[in-house]
Amino acid sequence: MTAVTEIWSYRNLIYNLAQRELRARYKKSILGWLWSLINPASMLLIYTVVFGTFLKGSAPDMGNGDSGIFALYLFAGLYLWNFFNGTVTGAIAALQAGGLLNKVYFPPACPAIANTLTVLLQAFIEAGILLVVMIVLGNVGWTLVLFPVLIVMVMLFALGFGLFLSIYNIYYRDVGYLVGIAMNVLFYATPIVYRLDQVPQTLGGIPIRRIITLNPITQFVGWSRDVFYLLRWPSLASTIGLLVVSVGTFLLGAAVFNRKSRLITEEL
Amino acid sequence: MGVIDVEHVSKRFKLYKDRPGSLKEMVTKFGRKRYEEFWSLRDVSVEVEAGTVYGLIGHNGCGKSTLLRMMAGIYKPTEGTVRTEGRISALLELGAGFHPELTGRENVYLNASILGLTRKETDLLFDDIVAFSGLEQFIDSPVKHYSSGMFVRLGFSVSVHVDPQILLIDEVIAVGDEEFQRRCFEHLASLRNRGVTIVLVTHSMPLVQTMCDQATWMDHGVVQASGPSLDVVGEYLAQVNRQEGEASEAAAAAAAEARVEKTGAPLTVEGVEFIDAEGRLTQFGLTGEPLTVRIHWRANVDVEWPILSFAVDSESGQHLSTAGMQGRVEGLGPFRGAGTVDYRIDRLPLAPGSYLLNVAAHDPRGVTVVDRLDRAVSLWVRPGHRLVPGILDLGGTWGVPEGVAAR
Repeated sequence: MTAVTEIWSYRNLIYNLAQRELRARYKKSILGWLWSLINPASMLLIYTVVFGTFLKGSAPDMGNGDSGIFALYLFAGLYLWNFFNGTVTGAIAALQAGGLLNKVYFPPACPAIANTLTVLLQAFIEAGILLVVMIVLGNVGWTLVLFPVLIVMVMLFALGFGLFLSIYNIYYRDVGYLVGIAMNVLFYATPIVYRLDQVPQTLGGIPIRRIITLNPITQFVGWSRDVFYLLRWPSLASTIGLLVVSVGTFLLGAAVFNRKSRLITEEL
Repeated sequence: MGVIDVEHVSKRFKLYKDRPGSLKEMVTKFGRKRYEEFWSLRDVSVEVEAGTVYGLIGHNGCGKSTLLRMMAGIYKPTEGTVRTEGRISALLELGAGFHPELTGRENVYLNASILGLTRKETDLLFDDIVAFSGLEQFIDSPVKHYSSGMFVRLGFSVSVHVDPQILLIDEVIAVGDEEFQRRCFEHLASLRNRGVTIVLVTHSMPLVQTMCDQATWMDHGVVQASGPSLDVVGEYLAQVNRQEGEASEAAAAAAAEARVEKTGAPLTVEGVEFIDAEGRLTQFGLTGEPLTVRIHWRANVDVEWPILSFAVDSESGQHLSTAGMQGRVEGLGPFRGAGTVDYRIDRLPLAPGSYLLNVAAHDPRGVTVVDRLDRAVSLWVRPGHRLVPGILDLGGTWGVPEGVAAR
């Protein structure tokens, strides 16, 4: 608990680190802040063309009964993936680049938390664009009130994961490289560019659809689509499951980080 | 109980012979010890009283910077405890956390928050910080365009304005130009007067002597001496001189032999000694007190009159003065063999600090140098009866004020 109050007392630093990140990010670029829109837009375009047009991916009908739009279905999962991915890899990078910890004392989790804030802002921008499009299309509902719950759950899950990995990455840089690959695998092991019902039940005796369903990110993405696209209330079982998983992952990751980070400055 | 209590602290570091690096190595070298243990500190106890200035001195690698980082909470002790009271500002590296792409203004806010200040607190201090750094003109340019001096000035300015209760400083004051250094010291003095506790890691003995109340001398992670700074510096310098003396005697003996053999100079410089007011050999000079410089020479052939000179350089290499022999006494000489000559200073005009003596022997006309002993010996000057800032004691006396008497 003391760790929490300590980090709270450094909230101003966290805010400033995040601000430094954001301010420095688009300095000396002509388009500046537009890049934070162009990047996800280009991803969306590529995936839509490849998986929607070439591979004939289709989306279920929207919550208001209109026929499905693949790009929106995709984006309702993609922004959440970007948030998860950015939080985990950012936490690892933040500690690895933490030369500052050698010069001034502050809680070592601060850079990772600051990074999470910058990624969170990006997620809000992307979700905001999705929302605007949905409003234009008339596909909005009360389920949107669950969005903050969703974001907090994903944040806890990703931050717990990232904090845990960031510590081991300091001792073994392999962790960072492995995470890079694992993220790639995880992206395709999550129904983002395809639909879950397109996955065969078993593949060579392996219950592949079951495995993909149990992937927490699959559940988070499913939630996000329920909230933004299908406009239906997520199931209670999945909600409780995700709450347990996200809070549990966060507590575990934070506990390991807290214990191990005591001596981390010597290893940086 | 002081504001900083370091009790029986030991610190062990792991020195990796061969960092584990990859998983393959982990497997192939499984079970083998991959590191050596290195004790940077051994059973160190230090107590710093509130409102005092504390110096940590010693050779490079003696553990003083590790101790400072312990006080800052950056390193955790392996054994023992470190307790501190109040807000700490550590100046381990100036401008730590500056982002090169951001402007000076943005970096001031960032750096202040790293040191624990809120935005509102920084707002109040901002003008003072900029004024102190003297960078008003450049405050809205990215710091990557700053010179290293400007960078450091802004960093120092932020660090000393955050109103710490404890200020930890590691060697960083030796930055900037003379004028900025002077302002730094003035500011530190005013912080001290306000009751800020300052811990200073430094190699500058004059700084310890003039600024610090207490000091600790460390060697190889062990406390060698602790107490009033003048005493500790004295002990430290005495040991340094002993070591240097031993080394330079051996070197001088070897050099002397080599010189005679090689150059066959008619007159050679053999060594230098200092003698205090009581006629005893000493390692130190005292500002404003008598000091005699005794030069040992050797005439390798018949020498009409030995002409010697010595130059005094400051620690930074600036040439301060040269004392050359002039005139001769009729009826004396020629000389052959070993001899000495004294140069008597009635009131040593040098301020506390360390100085270097270069000694030279000349031909009888005093024109060409026939032998020289560069950096022959260090002269450590300690404060005498009065403290003199700067490098020179003018040695004058003040008269009585003359004017109109008030009723």
